[in-house]
Amino acid sequence: MQHKILSKDSLAEFIEALRKDYTVYAPKRDKKVPNKMVWKVLEADETPTFEFVNTDMSPKDFVFPQSECMMRFKAEGKDAMVLKPVEQDTEQRVLLNVRPCDGKGLSFMDMIFCQDEQTNDVYWRDKRERTVMIGLACNSPCPSCFCLEANCGPHHEVGLDILMVDLGVQLLLKPLTERGKAIAASLPDASAADVKAAQTKRQQAEAAMKKTIDTQHVEQRSLMELYNLPYWERVCETCINCGTCTFVCPTCHCFDIQDEVPASGGNGRRVRNWDFCMAPLFTLHTSGHNPRGKKIARVRQRFMHKYKYIPMKRDGEVGCVGCGRCVRLCPVNIDIRDVINAMNAPDTATEGQEV
Amino acid sequence: MKELELYEPRIVAFFCHWCSYGAADLAGVSRMEYPASFRAVRIPCTGRMSPKFILHALRQGADGIWVSGCHPGDCHYGTGNYHSRRRLELFKDMLEYIGIEKDRIHFSWISSAEAEKFQQMAITVVESVRKLGPNTKLVKDLCNDCIPPVPTCNYMNECYEDLEALDAAAGRRS
Amino acid sequence: MMKTRTEAIRAAARRLLEAGKVDAVIGYMQGTIPLRAQPFIAYTPEDCDKLIWSSFCGGNLATIASGRKDRVAVVAQGCVSRNLNGLVHEKRINRDNLYIIGVPCIGMLDQRKVEAKLMGRNIELLKNDPEEDLGEITVSGCNAVRECFVEVIKRRDVKRDNCYTCMHRNPVGADEVVTEPVSETAGGDINAVATPWARFETDRRWEEFTKNFEDCIRCYACRDVCPLCYCTTCFVDESNPQWCGKTQDPADVQTFHILRAFHCAGRCTDCGACESACPQGIKMRRLTSMLEKDVRAKWNHEPGMDCETKPPLSTYRPDDPEDHFK
Repeated sequence: MQHKILSKDSLAEFIEALRKDYTVYAPKRDKKVPNKMVWKVLEADETPTFEFVNTDMSPKDFVFPQSECMMRFKAEGKDAMVLKPVEQDTEQRVLLNVRPCDGKGLSFMDMIFCQDEQTNDVYWRDKRERTVMIGLACNSPCPSCFCLEANCGPHHEVGLDILMVDLGVQLLLKPLTERGKAIAASLPDASAADVKAAQTKRQQAEAAMKKTIDTQHVEQRSLMELYNLPYWERVCETCINCGTCTFVCPTCHCFDIQDEVPASGGNGRRVRNWDFCMAPLFTLHTSGHNPRGKKIARVRQRFMHKYKYIPMKRDGEVGCVGCGRCVRLCPVNIDIRDVINAMNAPDTATEGQEV
Repeated sequence: MKELELYEPRIVAFFCHWCSYGAADLAGVSRMEYPASFRAVRIPCTGRMSPKFILHALRQGADGIWVSGCHPGDCHYGTGNYHSRRRLELFKDMLEYIGIEKDRIHFSWISSAEAEKFQQMAITVVESVRKLGPNTKLVKDLCNDCIPPVPTCNYMNECYEDLEALDAAAGRRS
Repeated sequence: MMKTRTEAIRAAARRLLEAGKVDAVIGYMQGTIPLRAQPFIAYTPEDCDKLIWSSFCGGNLATIASGRKDRVAVVAQGCVSRNLNGLVHEKRINRDNLYIIGVPCIGMLDQRKVEAKLMGRNIELLKNDPEEDLGEITVSGCNAVRECFVEVIKRRDVKRDNCYTCMHRNPVGADEVVTEPVSETAGGDINAVATPWARFETDRRWEEFTKNFEDCIRCYACRDVCPLCYCTTCFVDESNPQWCGKTQDPADVQTFHILRAFHCAGRCTDCGACESACPQGIKMRRLTSMLEKDVRAKWNHEPGMDCETKPPLSTYRPDDPEDHFK
């Protein structure tokens, strides 16, 4: 598709046009916490910032809210157990300046939530279809980013409707879907020089990313060999089993469904909430048996799931996009890159890096 | 203001079995008049009180809380009310600090012979809570769809009229 | 890392492991990205070469020591050593199996505050981490087109909030202390800083409280990093009745924070690990500081100053204040 060019002077106009049909969201500086970016509605007179690394929370909340009422029911009376699904919202929205890793993250979760005719989560699908993703490529990746080594990259295109590259005073737009093409249609075509400049930015960004992980042996090693590595004892002893890594992760998608009925009886609702595999009770059965009652089992599970079980089940696709949020935000600085290297070659894995 | 006069506060009261619940009984058989706007929950001792109970009541829409037990030194179990005294003092300070009106939460020591004090306290509690109007803070509202921004119901009762009315209120969606 | 403290800690740890006095030393090692330190357990004298001490040792190692059955040495500054004393009293740790390697502390730094000073520029290196409270750290980095920066920042400008008002910077009840003691208090007035919402009236207080916790994602990092939270079944997982819902309804989020703060009342040493751990940067100390100030005022208690004193909510005096009782 034809590349387009948008001067930053005309950005406000472009966004105004978008605002006619969509609610526009963009990463903004949080007012309460220094150096924290959050997804917020872009108001009428606001311009989005291009000077940021990424938001702390991934935008998965737009499509997979942390708490969501699925349906309501009546538990008593002659119409007992009448179930009525909650009507979905109709807001059309644009996520402006979303990073490629987050785009890939949503695309990965499409694969989980909407697998085939029988597994097709209407709550996910409806919101996904109403969300336009206008991505902003990373020109300056940070020390915790390793997207390039996770089947993704600073200028990756999967999951986005448009990819924008910041060229300084201009933005190069590459429409990637029909919807993206329609949005960018009114903009002037980009010149070959503009496209070349974007390519240079891409090369510079990719060259700046140091190689941090090795996965070739992970693919070759058997599941049981990885499962039984003594290394898991070391990793699990400092993990505090909170939900930080799972909640900030763009690909983590586990949830818990609960019915809430008022104590006085009457109508109730069914709610879906995010849950995390690190929680001690995550796998507790009603029988009382807990297959992952020990911390080592839970910690091992997360990494095995992302880097072994998913690639095995999904033709080599990795359950991670290398956004680095878990690395930056883990309270005890457990670095997924160290873990992967240990899975790859436990004898030569280094723990921590010298500063 | 007229609405406030018509509103009847819903107060949850926790009385220890040995003293305050006995005082309530005595006030009853003595045909003393006091407002009926509180629901008494009998606990063996105020030492059984936990902040969880107070929060549980507030979450379900209680407008006020009243805890009453034996006088310190006279606890049937010896020291239960000494422990609850520390716990409840601190917890009420905390609730006041976060913005729950101080007149919503009441504590008292009423012995089983003090029916008059019980009557007085009942009037004090109900009237001071009535003046504050319905409580909307810390109420767990099952009407919202959980997706922010969340509009909330003012009264718990309103939510459960019928499903049609619930869905018809399109203003419930953001 | 701080050179003097690091070397002294390594020497102490090595000595203890070589002599077989402990089975493990719980400390920190260098983080995998700048401005972080990783909790680390050294089991052999060789492991001890990885131990460090820096301005970013912002967790609480008492959490890792808690519940262990082997003999451990814990590298602990003032607040952490007091938590260890508290845990000994609560029988989570056997004092005979515990060796406290005390570290006089000049205060931890808040990596968010440091990053805010750099506003979007990626920090690649912490070049200088001095051991003077009034010293300066140096950070540096480059972007993708090799535009580099070096920034010098005063420690006093970017300290973690609780460290400005620390009342016990030297370890309490330590078995050995690795460097010369520092001045006991950090200089700030904890009673003046605690209870920031007390000056507002009721509805404004509620607004502040609501706003303070509205970003909480219920990851429980604060609870899990806290040494005081070791219940086998946390109240959030109790389902019959369910005191605290699992949804993001503000009432559920608020209930969690109110109850958790209350469960730690009288035992909290204001170590700040909860705020350091929080991925959303929530200032929960605005709530917990009120409880600790009240505990000091009502019952004259400072948690963890020894292993014998009972926490205030597990004991009583017949003449305790009862301002709220009629």
